[in-house]
Amino acid sequence: MTSLPHAVDAETPLKASELQVLRAQYEKEGDMVGVQTKFNYAWGLVKSDARRDQQTGVHLLSDIFRVSPERRRECLYYLALGNYKLGNYGDARRYNDLLLDKEPMNLQAADLRRLIDDKVAKEGLMGVAIISGVAIAAGVVGGILFRGKRR
Amino acid sequence: MDDTDLHNAYHDEASMGEDSILSPRGIEHFTRKVTATASHLVGPLTDQSPSAANHYSSAMAEVHKHMKRPNLQRSMFSMAKTTPTDLVRSKFSTSEIQNRALSYLSDDMLQNIPEIDNSYSLFQGFQASFPELSDDGKKHRRRVSRGRKMIDDAPSTPNSPQHLHKLKKERASFMHELEMLGIRKNMASSEIREIDNKIANLAGMRRIILDRLAGLEQEEALLEHDIVDMEGRIEDAQLLVDEAESIAADTPTRDDDEDDLVLDQDNDEFMSKSIYEKLPSASSTPSKSKRHKVIRRKSMPILHEHFEPGTAIREIKAHEDNITAIDFDHPFGTMVSSAMDDSVKVWDLNAGRCIGVLEGHTASVRTLQVEDNILATGGVDATIRLWDLSKAHYDPQGNQDGEEEDGMAFENPDDQPVEPPAGTMSDCPMFTLEAHVDEVTALHFRGDVLVSGSADKTIRHWDLEKGRCIQTLDVMWAAAQASASMGSAEGAWRQTGRSVSGPADFVGALQVFDSALACGTADGMVRLWDLRSGQVHRSLVGHTGPVTCLQFDDMHLVTGSLDRSIRIWDLRTGSIFDAYAYDNPITSMMFDSRRIVSAAQEDVVKVYDKLESRQWDCGAGITQAEENKTPAIVEHVRIKEGYMIEGRQDGIVGVWTC
Repeated sequence: MTSLPHAVDAETPLKASELQVLRAQYEKEGDMVGVQTKFNYAWGLVKSDARRDQQTGVHLLSDIFRVSPERRRECLYYLALGNYKLGNYGDARRYNDLLLDKEPMNLQAADLRRLIDDKVAKEGLMGVAIISGVAIAAGVVGGILFRGKRR
Repeated sequence: MDDTDLHNAYHDEASMGEDSILSPRGIEHFTRKVTATASHLVGPLTDQSPSAANHYSSAMAEVHKHMKRPNLQRSMFSMAKTTPTDLVRSKFSTSEIQNRALSYLSDDMLQNIPEIDNSYSLFQGFQASFPELSDDGKKHRRRVSRGRKMIDDAPSTPNSPQHLHKLKKERASFMHELEMLGIRKNMASSEIREIDNKIANLAGMRRIILDRLAGLEQEEALLEHDIVDMEGRIEDAQLLVDEAESIAADTPTRDDDEDDLVLDQDNDEFMSKSIYEKLPSASSTPSKSKRHKVIRRKSMPILHEHFEPGTAIREIKAHEDNITAIDFDHPFGTMVSSAMDDSVKVWDLNAGRCIGVLEGHTASVRTLQVEDNILATGGVDATIRLWDLSKAHYDPQGNQDGEEEDGMAFENPDDQPVEPPAGTMSDCPMFTLEAHVDEVTALHFRGDVLVSGSADKTIRHWDLEKGRCIQTLDVMWAAAQASASMGSAEGAWRQTGRSVSGPADFVGALQVFDSALACGTADGMVRLWDLRSGQVHRSLVGHTGPVTCLQFDDMHLVTGSLDRSIRIWDLRTGSIFDAYAYDNPITSMMFDSRRIVSAAQEDVVKVYDKLESRQWDCGAGITQAEENKTPAIVEHVRIKEGYMIEGRQDGIVGVWTC
């Protein structure tokens, strides 16, 4: 059994009722909420499809990181995964690379790095394509205008 | 050269970024390629070979090929570390920025990641607890299914490979479940540890704050003493100024007379009005009056309320002999104790120090009461004496004859208490009430009314304003009246069936409130008198042994008796409201808003918590049990606002929170 979830795990949302159970547990414990309960809720949120939920989840994870030093190491991975899901690749990379620094043999983290790289590359290319497309269009329009002017 | 520049540029980039994205291997590889390409490109120009075009195209193809590799793509874009959308979002969307700020972790924190091996990861915990949370029937179902499977198994041929496979699969699933259970177990234990840590932390914080509170209260007490001191000096100065003025006014004789008159009036007032003025008003809570000249604390100590119930505050070796009576005015205030050795001592509970010894009684004091600064004592010598404790020459801060530091005397309970200087109480006696012909066993005063019960079988009603006896209530006569008028045993004097070792006090306890008087006597009766008519208007029958203590508030009357029971009576109906009993006769009892404390001839004080309906023990018998010591039996107990003092047979007084 693996101690850390694969990235795929984060992509499968829980049922609303299941998330509700986690939330109820979290709220029941109030201020004195335990780490595990907090994590359960946070993880349920991160798995969700709604961006707002994911953000809350990442926030809770960062809380856990702050409050319980003994959980920091693994929290790095959860944070990286959460941020990856949010599309905050900069942060995701920051956490994941730190974890890889400490645990070079961590398979999940290596996987995640690959995923982040892919995503960044793909979206980056897309961005470049869009920008260059816009530039070309502008160039064409400008050229037409320029030519029109010269005439 | 172009290529080296490029190389450097990449290198800088790589070394500058705090987390290197580009693996050095990739960069090197790419650099080699570019260098090679450049040399290829430059090469043909120099040696003018015919295969120049070929060279060029192959070199470019190689670069191109490399460029197409995702690895390089990644490296290129990882310069920015993230995608443009992410960049845009993180710069322009407010909610996004807000959220990021919330979940941002500083580099400091990221640096500080301890190497701790947890027995399970949070994710494993999630997996283990999730089915439980979402579907609590699963476990049960599993059991059922297992049972069913075993039934199913029976008919299938046991030696088929299919069967073996199935069994193996099942074993694997059981193993998995076992693993899950292990994790859950670990989770539970680590959660318990977590809570323990939290409790320890909170307890530590509580201790710190308690210490702070103690410090503040100490400061408060000192400052208050300074204020009193200052007030005294101001008064003196005022007097001097007045005197000087009167001399200047050139009519010295008349003014002097007037001064005397004023002083006389002051004295008069003090003898009469002041007593009841200082006494608490008719409200149920004693008023915290702050009249001038009354050395009264302006602030209420609350420290004891925050101690855990049953905590020892202090232990004072007050007397060498059996304590016969004890009382105090308010928490951390003044305590007065008397013992078989005929001495009456006044104590400062705040410092745990003896203020002085009251001299006057020719025999031991059986009963006493402190209210504000007035002390009433009733003794075996049949007299009642009244004392004004505010007249004591006592400096709560001062060292005594430069001997020891203030606190030293009581820090060590085994030490001999520091003897107070003689004559500190010489101004305290106010007056003496002499009318009883036998020892005074009980007294109580409120306002200017004092009642006393004596072994001469009478109760006397005194007016403190005039300092004389107003009426005498004959208990025997009242009992006879009652039996005569009602023609029954009800209310009549009767000897209690219970044989008591040693004669009990005829009047065991008294309490007065305006014209209402309650008295408990040796026949086990509690009589309620109307002082205006001098008649008993109600008798409470129930106790089968002499009543030794009683107290009432606006609702209930609580009595304790040698028949071992505490009875709580409803004052309006006269019926029993509640009752409970201990193993031994009750010698003393008192209640405050929450607790009924009683001394039942044990080394602990019996406490009944009215709010929680809970019985518990408080006292030296508990704390010293571990040390295998048996403290003396508690004889008398007093409680006010959760601050309890108890006097024992060996002369030790214990102070506790309750």
